[in-house]
Amino acid sequence: MTAELRWVGKNIARRDAFEKATGSAKFASDMFPENLLYVFTLRSRYPHAIIRRIDVSKAEKMPGVVGVYTHRDIPNNRFGVFHKDRPVLCDDRVRYIGDPVALVAAESREEGQEALNAIEVVYEPLPVVTDPVEAMGPSTIKIHDHGNICRQTRITRGDVEDGLSKSDTVVENTYRTPAQIHAYLETEAGISYIDEQGRITVVAGGQSPYRDHHEIVSTLNLPPEKVRVIIPHVGGAFGGKDDISVQIHLALVTMKTGRPARLVWTREESTIAGTKRHPSIVKMRTGASKDGVLLANDVEIIYDTGAYAGLGPAVLDVAIENCNGPYKIPNIDIKAWLVYTNNHFASAFRGFGAPQVMFAMEQQMDQLAEKLGLDPIEFRLRNALRRGDVAVFGNKLETSVGIVQCLEKARQHPLWRERQAAKQEKTLPWIRRGVGVAAAIKGYTLGALPDKGRVAIELRMDGGFTVKGSFTEIGQGVVQAIAQLAAELLHTSLDKIEVVFADTGKTPDTSVTSASRQLFLAGNALKDAVAKMGERIKSAAKILLRREVESLTLSEEHVVVDKGEMLDYRVVARVLEESGLGREVVGEFDVPRVDPIPGSLEIPHLFYMFGVALAAVEVNTMTGAVNVTHIVNIADVGKVVNPQTLTGQLEGAAAQAAGYALFEDAKIEDGILKTTNLSTYLIPSIKDVGVIEAVPVEDHEEAGPLGAKGIGEIGFIPVAPAIANAVYDAVGVRPLALPMTPEKVYWLIKRRI
Amino acid sequence: MGGTRILREFRFRLNGEEVSVKAPPAYTLLEALRYVMHLTGTKDGCSTGDCGACTVLLDGRAVHSCLTLIAQVEGREVITVEGVGENIPAAYAEEGAVQCGYCTPGLVTASAALLKQNPKPTVDEIKEALRGNLCRCTGYVKIIKAVQRASGDV
Amino acid sequence: MLALGDVEVYSPRTVGEALEILRRRAGSLRVIAGGTDLVVQLKTGAARWRELLNIYGLDELRYIKYVDGEVKIGALTDFTTIHESPIVKSTAPVLAQAAFEIGSYQIMNKASIGGNIVNASPAADSLPALYVLEAVLKLETLDGFRTVPVKEFYKGYKMLDMRSDELLTEVSYRALGDGWVGEFFKHGLRRGDAIAVVNGAVLLKWNSVDGVVEDARVALGAVAPTVVRAVECEKMLRGSRLDEKTIRECSEAVLTSISPIDDVRGSAAYRREMCVNYVYMTLWSLARRLGM
Repeated sequence: MTAELRWVGKNIARRDAFEKATGSAKFASDMFPENLLYVFTLRSRYPHAIIRRIDVSKAEKMPGVVGVYTHRDIPNNRFGVFHKDRPVLCDDRVRYIGDPVALVAAESREEGQEALNAIEVVYEPLPVVTDPVEAMGPSTIKIHDHGNICRQTRITRGDVEDGLSKSDTVVENTYRTPAQIHAYLETEAGISYIDEQGRITVVAGGQSPYRDHHEIVSTLNLPPEKVRVIIPHVGGAFGGKDDISVQIHLALVTMKTGRPARLVWTREESTIAGTKRHPSIVKMRTGASKDGVLLANDVEIIYDTGAYAGLGPAVLDVAIENCNGPYKIPNIDIKAWLVYTNNHFASAFRGFGAPQVMFAMEQQMDQLAEKLGLDPIEFRLRNALRRGDVAVFGNKLETSVGIVQCLEKARQHPLWRERQAAKQEKTLPWIRRGVGVAAAIKGYTLGALPDKGRVAIELRMDGGFTVKGSFTEIGQGVVQAIAQLAAELLHTSLDKIEVVFADTGKTPDTSVTSASRQLFLAGNALKDAVAKMGERIKSAAKILLRREVESLTLSEEHVVVDKGEMLDYRVVARVLEESGLGREVVGEFDVPRVDPIPGSLEIPHLFYMFGVALAAVEVNTMTGAVNVTHIVNIADVGKVVNPQTLTGQLEGAAAQAAGYALFEDAKIEDGILKTTNLSTYLIPSIKDVGVIEAVPVEDHEEAGPLGAKGIGEIGFIPVAPAIANAVYDAVGVRPLALPMTPEKVYWLIKRRI
Repeated sequence: MGGTRILREFRFRLNGEEVSVKAPPAYTLLEALRYVMHLTGTKDGCSTGDCGACTVLLDGRAVHSCLTLIAQVEGREVITVEGVGENIPAAYAEEGAVQCGYCTPGLVTASAALLKQNPKPTVDEIKEALRGNLCRCTGYVKIIKAVQRASGDV
Repeated sequence: MLALGDVEVYSPRTVGEALEILRRRAGSLRVIAGGTDLVVQLKTGAARWRELLNIYGLDELRYIKYVDGEVKIGALTDFTTIHESPIVKSTAPVLAQAAFEIGSYQIMNKASIGGNIVNASPAADSLPALYVLEAVLKLETLDGFRTVPVKEFYKGYKMLDMRSDELLTEVSYRALGDGWVGEFFKHGLRRGDAIAVVNGAVLLKWNSVDGVVEDARVALGAVAPTVVRAVECEKMLRGSRLDEKTIRECSEAVLTSISPIDDVRGSAAYRREMCVNYVYMTLWSLARRLGM
């Protein structure tokens, strides 16, 4: 970048921050339309059962009840992104404890509660499938007709047995991780109503208005133009609002009654019924030569997707793509299974399948380094991918690869350099200190899956611009980032840019807000839109000046034409309006992709994020409690669009991953979740995180808008393994399972002694 | 509004003004604020007193409005996020301490309670004062900076 | 989360009024003080009551007084007030410490000591401190009052020696004289707010002339249906020099007093280890404080 940037890279307060801080910003759960109906969901009483009968007759007649709905009210009762295996309201069976069976719409909350209790459902309990390995067995009851293996695949390259036999050291372990609950502060929530154009309008927290729209339209058999989905400020998502939650239920009630409806899940409902991170069993056999070169990795991955596929098939793919870490390994064999159980419903969660396998791989790396007598960072550097390298699937990396820079930053950091000295500092006799490192890789965008998005720019009559896209503001700051990018690309001031987002009635389809890709996708579509806007303004200039126009420059106050004629934007807008050329253009971006390798859905990505985390811990050997005193979260982000937002993402990801690593123990027994509130499911409080340093590294990505890459997920992935490696450094025991709760760590230490 | 609901009138001071609210006495203050008065600045994150999103000031002290019955605020002084002024929200916004923003009003009121009692808190004092407020997005780093900024310790 | 639109709430202004309503409606209503435990129970449906007696407005039950060597605390006194009280800090620092561990400031500001006692969770944080202080509870009815030592108040898990027309109005304890040191401990599953996996309080009377423990009181919570005094441990501590060996043996001795269970927060086996280890760490810390 030669020119000085005016907006991109500047630390500007987000435009939505003040209104959120004063409480005036409205979330879906804050909306109370006139004459609304309160909606309640009756959920399954069993983790697995046949539904023999649903009798709503009593409930329907109760005071204040306007409607009680079951599967009989759903025209097409199956939906889902990869497999249409999910019912809107259960008909034949319930497959996990949160499965929805009926809805009540009532005039008041009290009346709705009463009616819910009056719905009679006769169940015939079935054996509960809780173990994914058992689930794959031939004699286990089938949760879906096509069997309990939702997806299985095997991808190999080279000869893994040969590679292992030639290795001077081989490390073999089985790692386990549990379900993780998103625990966003705003639960699944929404309202619905008929808008002034007669459209059934759903306003609900989500991550893709167009996908939600599609699911509503297809299950309820509605004409697409009769449905509108709006996603306002969302109180946190992290992938948990990627799947349908309240949207179809709300649309159904408004469709049937013509009235507005409100459906907000309680915290308990959200923890039980909401989607979760896939629990995993990951087995790895990893071999390296005595010079510290990785030779082979034999991997088995089992992900428990619970009752429905959700986005599981893609999650499995991400696990496969990233299980070898950011390293060159010539011989790999990856066997992967996505398995149904009755434990829960697992789908997208920040990292999308990578955290589980990186928890394994990065501890494999540390163990290999130890056996080889190599420094853990040096060992990683020897194997780290560089631009131009051929990665594990035979794919050449032609785009930005920043892992080496991240590792170097980690190596130079005082936390790493002074770690031995830190151990010697005086402390209580039962405290042990340690420092760990871990690296991470994740592709952003949808990889080999087609992925395209559109962004519109409207030149307003007042001379400013409105950017329109269906990206959703889930807290990550994409709206602010797009505004800054737009101001930069249009050479105008930030306050002239408005952003309208996530409304199928107003914004074009910019695809889903997930996979850390909105900045890249929307940003590139924005670039195209800017170019098109330039062309459109040129057409207006031709009309105004009554001649051909050679060149055009946009500046803040004026459009400057050819040799210097200055046109006022408001005049241009009027011309476009009156001439019928229109003031709005739509830019498109088709994410560059290659065809998927056999056995995969989206491997390889062409674009990758990289990161490294350092973690310092104090372990209380008397209690097993692990206190994370310092995390350094280093990420290769391409280009920092807004430093506050960027570092905020890395800090937040570090804390959330520390929770995954240490406190978040989603106990599911016989298909019943035991930790159903925020007192039993513990996420980090302000006292549970020590110092968190966010360190962005800018390895410019040419394909990215002004060099920017994705950022949403990479900060999460290396933190749990860094903490595990730190625990090993402190007390010499290796945590092969998450979370590293005090009780678990305590027994690990005690058994070793 | 039907059913067998009991409705009573409760008089208290809200954000500096005398108000009178008709609500069932066993509704929580949070329910009265959101469902009856549609004052939605105060958020409902859990309704069990575990997340702090519902924090308001009752007679100047931070409490969970989800654990306070409307009957318990009769004759008392309540301040919600709508009534704490702009200084603290501005500090949160400037420091980048707001991401999804759902926890923020609760943090703002809890910060207001802290700064009234302790205008120049240390980092540890800030952590103790805010230990009842959960945030899932920010990692708390910028929240601490925001409180320092609001206290004038930039 | 239930909307409690049909629940009646009586909000008396004086203790007399409250006792009168209690007498009239005994058995049909539940007393609510700060509500930080009870409101959750009511809204989740864990406790179902059609009538509540809201005593939150009884300011006459908010006090901390020092009278003739006794400290009297009104049952509605909140934990922030207890934690910051100069009287409590000087006469029973262990209680001031426990008050801080109750929960966040939002909880401390609203929860009452009376409510914590009557809610009777075996993991209640005020209880181990009250046990080692050998606190006395005052229960009032329209006809008068009686007093009950705190450890006799609990007959079993959540079983109280309390009649349905009685109101807990005061907690009192004898101020500890010179020579006493103590500490409250709590093991939670995170550094932030958390329900105790185990908690407890240790008080030692130290004879600095002879360098021995003259008296010891150890109370343990969350490891039995009620809070318990670790009688064996106390016996071993009395007369000891608080050396490493004694501390170790005394900590082990708590095992004879406890019967923890498995639950969502921890296994019984882990609770046993934590009880021993926390008593050890607390005795170690007290020994350090005493210059050992």
